[in-house]
Amino acid sequence: MNRRVFLKKAAAASAMAAAATMLPGILFAADQTKDNLPGGIKWTKAPCRFCGVGCGVLIGTKEGKTVAVKGDPNSPVNQGLLCVKGYHQIMCTSAADRLTKPLIKKNGQYVEATMDEALDLVAAKMTETIEKYGKDAVAMYTSGQSTIPEGYVAAKFMKGAIGTNNLDCNARLCMASAVAGFLTTFGADEPMGCYEDIDYADVFVLWGNNMAEMHPVLFSRLLDNRLKRKNVKIIDLATRTTRTSKAADKSILFKPQTDLAIANAICYEIINNGWVNHSFVEQHIVFKKGKTTIGYGLEDKFKFKDEAEAIDFNQYKTFLADYRPDKVEALTGVSAKDIKYLAALYGDPGLKVVSYWCMGMNQHTRGTWMNNLVYNIHLLTGKISQPGNGPFSLTGQPSACGTAREVGTFTHKLPKGVVTNEKHRRLAAKIWQVPYERIPAKPTYHATEMFRAIDRGDIKFLWTQVTNPLVSLPKTSRYRPGMKKNDCFVVVSDVFPTPTSDVADVILPAAWHVEKSGMYGNSERRTQYWDKMVEPPGEATPDAWMTIEVARRMGFGDLFPYSKENHHEEIYNEYRQFHVGKKHNMAPVEVLKKQSGAIWPYIEETGKSTQWRFNAKYDPACDQEKDFDFYGRPDGKAVIWQRPYEPAPEVPDNEYPFWLNTGRVIEHWHTGSMTRRIPVLHRAVPNAYVELHPDDAKRLGIQNKQLVKVVSRRGSTVLPASINERGLPAKGQVFVPFFDESMLINDVTLDAFCPISKEPDYKKCAVRIERV
Amino acid sequence: MMKTSYVIIGFWLVLFIAASIIVSTSLFEEQLVARAETLASPGANTLPVEEGVFKLAGRADELRALFYRGVGSKKGLGPYYSRRAFPGAPPVIPHPADEHQDIGGKACLQCHQNGGYVDQYQAFAPVSPHPELLNCKQCHVPVVTTGSFIASSWRKPAPPETGQQELPGSPPVIPHALEMRNNCLSCHGTPAAPREIRVSHPDRVNCRQCHALNDNTMNAPEIWTR
Repeated sequence: MNRRVFLKKAAAASAMAAAATMLPGILFAADQTKDNLPGGIKWTKAPCRFCGVGCGVLIGTKEGKTVAVKGDPNSPVNQGLLCVKGYHQIMCTSAADRLTKPLIKKNGQYVEATMDEALDLVAAKMTETIEKYGKDAVAMYTSGQSTIPEGYVAAKFMKGAIGTNNLDCNARLCMASAVAGFLTTFGADEPMGCYEDIDYADVFVLWGNNMAEMHPVLFSRLLDNRLKRKNVKIIDLATRTTRTSKAADKSILFKPQTDLAIANAICYEIINNGWVNHSFVEQHIVFKKGKTTIGYGLEDKFKFKDEAEAIDFNQYKTFLADYRPDKVEALTGVSAKDIKYLAALYGDPGLKVVSYWCMGMNQHTRGTWMNNLVYNIHLLTGKISQPGNGPFSLTGQPSACGTAREVGTFTHKLPKGVVTNEKHRRLAAKIWQVPYERIPAKPTYHATEMFRAIDRGDIKFLWTQVTNPLVSLPKTSRYRPGMKKNDCFVVVSDVFPTPTSDVADVILPAAWHVEKSGMYGNSERRTQYWDKMVEPPGEATPDAWMTIEVARRMGFGDLFPYSKENHHEEIYNEYRQFHVGKKHNMAPVEVLKKQSGAIWPYIEETGKSTQWRFNAKYDPACDQEKDFDFYGRPDGKAVIWQRPYEPAPEVPDNEYPFWLNTGRVIEHWHTGSMTRRIPVLHRAVPNAYVELHPDDAKRLGIQNKQLVKVVSRRGSTVLPASINERGLPAKGQVFVPFFDESMLINDVTLDAFCPISKEPDYKKCAVRIERV
Repeated sequence: MMKTSYVIIGFWLVLFIAASIIVSTSLFEEQLVARAETLASPGANTLPVEEGVFKLAGRADELRALFYRGVGSKKGLGPYYSRRAFPGAPPVIPHPADEHQDIGGKACLQCHQNGGYVDQYQAFAPVSPHPELLNCKQCHVPVVTTGSFIASSWRKPAPPETGQQELPGSPPVIPHALEMRNNCLSCHGTPAAPREIRVSHPDRVNCRQCHALNDNTMNAPEIWTR
């Protein structure tokens, strides 16, 4: 072997590589624009149907059918790249069990009906229920996958036409803590930064966020930046070793629920080491504390109202003394050295830091607190609202921001503001042209409580759209029997049959994504428009149109004067009036048609998006006399909240010795009703499983693939064990993905929620593992 | 004259040392993934292990540069499969290998950890997807004869079809099992990769973001009915 030549060549290769990395541009995106596919394909832009990243896709259609998908190279979100779900999304519509005709349950059997018959029945049942039991006996449960027009007409129908606040959505299960966090700290919902932060940040701290699988396109952008700029660091802070942990520069594992203590310990270190940005804090921050020992919402009709009390910096500093890194080592399982390391990254004024999180922090019985605590870190150091610096809450659904949060399909919300505020109710009444008194001032049921009310018999009519609660709710072991009872009339609109449609009295076939036109809003406040590309099959109809048709049948026709062909655009134009003004202006539909989305506040004069809110340099809504202006709050100041560590409601004990964590895999999206119908994804991950630590498996005598039973105080499900495969849970913990409707892990989970946001915690409850 | 050559040698030496440092520091720290004996019951579908996913990620920009500069093997899948008894079998060692080198040492890895061009064989050294396994000859054996002990009717099964796409233009699936081969870049991203399976974008290191495992050599999942 001629080693000298070998070494010389190896060195030459390295030198060439070093030179080539200086070349700018992503060559991959250029590959994508080449039209090397069979001829006659028409490409039309849309946002992806799946997660909250909101990638731009190009859908290929030919002869009235969708035939291909590629990444939109013009989209600033993904620059031509997608994930395996995105590339194959159109294939779900070819599933043999696609719903194409309305089905009405008669004597226990589903009978095909025409759309007119079905909508007549829905309207009649709704009217009858209201007459017999009152307005608050009917409810709608919608989705962060509803388009903006779909969410808007649902809100107008329930709150403006009928006059009930019985409207909530599945985004309550994933984003409510983020919303409550933003509102309590900044007085305004949604992130201040944008995805472009990735191209400027030096350090990424991922708080309980398996980004490599859940937000893969953004994670690729992180990796891409790490390749190009050698100083970039990715820190994975999690309770389980995942694909993200493996890609990260450092993986720090902590015990479930103790992220609260870690965040406080980081703040302790920042203050103790003099890393506080004093001028920022003095000008832009106030300190507050709220109630403690706030409960877990386990009992029906649970009520909680936080009360804020002003404190000063010294009081806050005294509070943090309990969180000195060495004091929380035992509680968190994280060494003081690692906490100090994290604090040093946040504290170093020379480093730009972005924090990312999603369900780990949001699905948490102290989710609002946890969101507040991460903001505290960024506010103490002034690392916020600047390119490459800021906290960023990721979302799981394509329009959790655009529809659920901005249109406000929650019980307490209105398109602008909240029902409890008279000014907000008056504005809604004016735009909707309804009597102001009709909009009730009191919120009614949040998601979990809505399904409890159905179980109790308080709600007699429920209409779900674009969601599958009997797979996705916590503790479905209670809510499935609740919905099966005959005293609640259940209408389910969906594209495919699901365990939720199995309990429906009427099933309405819905048009899928590009079978209708619409708008979604992604995690970075980007509103995106798409045009209908193909006809829906059979009688499948856009959800917004079904809502409008039912409203008309109930006598509210004058409130819904939209045309069938263009209702999405007419509704959007009406909706935009709610957000007029510098702080939340939405881009006109003509702009959205031309470009791959726009980030609000959209500046009409310049035709520009506002990428960094609250920073006067980028955001014209700020008081231009100041550098930063947190204008969501009347005093223009953000709040640092004193929030303690409090334990989880149910912790492992002798009888139920394991923590159960639930979540997703890259191949499947949420309850799997779409992704499991895409052959390439099903073949990759055909069923759910329970991940065990190898030592636990050995101790229990469980082999890989062996069927085991996961049992909690609520229920149980049987799944194959997974050892040393996708993820590695810590000892004493197990993980189960929730996409599989034949292995329903949510029969096992606990319906405890954050008392402030009302978002359930799917990440922590106690289970035991039995061999079967 | 002498002086110049020293300078040149010195230059290469410095470059090489720098490159080695970059490569070794950018390789990911091995995660503490405990491995227990696990037994797959026949017929069950398995998920591939994950530990190799990002193993060569630190070299991705170098691999991309090599690809775009056209540095790479001209050989195709023919020679690749000729060294394997069946698709997925450990390849034989197609060159003389010193029998006296210690088992457990890093003799093979000198060339097969990072790869590079070897004049002697006029070939790029393939990069091992599992450099942590040091007893190479446990599975990889040299070929010292072309003859047979006795005639055999063994027929090699056909290798998986490349470029299996679900839709025009969609990312091809992974058509093979990943046991011992879950570090994609080692076989698909280096200059030693057979030209048919060399990836044009090795800098996209999160391969399974787009390419789903569809190993149809495993039991096909049954059509599920509600």
